[in-house]
Amino acid sequence: MLHSKPFAAADTCFLIDWAYWRYRDILFDLFQTVFVPEAVLREIKSEKTLEWVAINLASGRLALFTETPDVIELAIRIVERSRTISSLRGVDIPEAICLALGKLRGYIVLTENRGALMAADVLEELSGVVVWRSLEVIREAIRRRIIICDPEQVFKLYEEETRHRFPRSELEAVIRELREEVGEMA
Amino acid sequence: MSLEKKLEKWRRLEEEAREIRRREADWKFIESQPPRVRAALIYYIESGDIRTSAKLAGMDLEDFRELLRKANIPVVT
Repeated sequence: MLHSKPFAAADTCFLIDWAYWRYRDILFDLFQTVFVPEAVLREIKSEKTLEWVAINLASGRLALFTETPDVIELAIRIVERSRTISSLRGVDIPEAICLALGKLRGYIVLTENRGALMAADVLEELSGVVVWRSLEVIREAIRRRIIICDPEQVFKLYEEETRHRFPRSELEAVIRELREEVGEMA
Repeated sequence: MSLEKKLEKWRRLEEEAREIRRREADWKFIESQPPRVRAALIYYIESGDIRTSAKLAGMDLEDFRELLRKANIPVVT
């Protein structure tokens, strides 16, 4: 039986951290295709990230997304709306395009940009959009046993290799949840 | 959850992230940087806004992310 995996759209902040991680290719066990908007690709400059992106564009696991007028229109509206609420961090075009793809196409949005996370949580225009950070991607990979390892060790490794930090309270909750689930499966 | 409660949650998370960046930053490294780069790193620690920080530093986003690693300033999300 064919089991279809979802599509995702990745922003720059996600890709430039994710490319540093040894288990970065698990992304393709979770998603059918990860779209990289042109606006995101333009921001990728380092040899390490470019090489990883290029190899996976060639294999079709990543795909370039050329922005269409409806996506651009919604993205501009998201950028403007994010600046109408004073305590919201502003969203810029590259991540706004990913959020627009989340809304218009149902893609899972991959981001490490807090402005994008806030916008998806707060703006009515983005209701229903699913946004994952590396925290959620790794959680899902452990849940589906794509990575078989103690959850705490996996997150620790990610933080060490990328110099990324997850909020402690959220991380502890995810680790607790995963240990219970993985324990039940064993 | 009401808009006000959501914004309060994000204010709390932003403050937690700011504290982590301040605490883990290599301040000696930051102080040794040229004024424009130093200002951009301090702006990043306070705001967490990487794109504006990179522009302040006159750097590409990825080069600035690499600089954050050298300055031991974590990205917190």
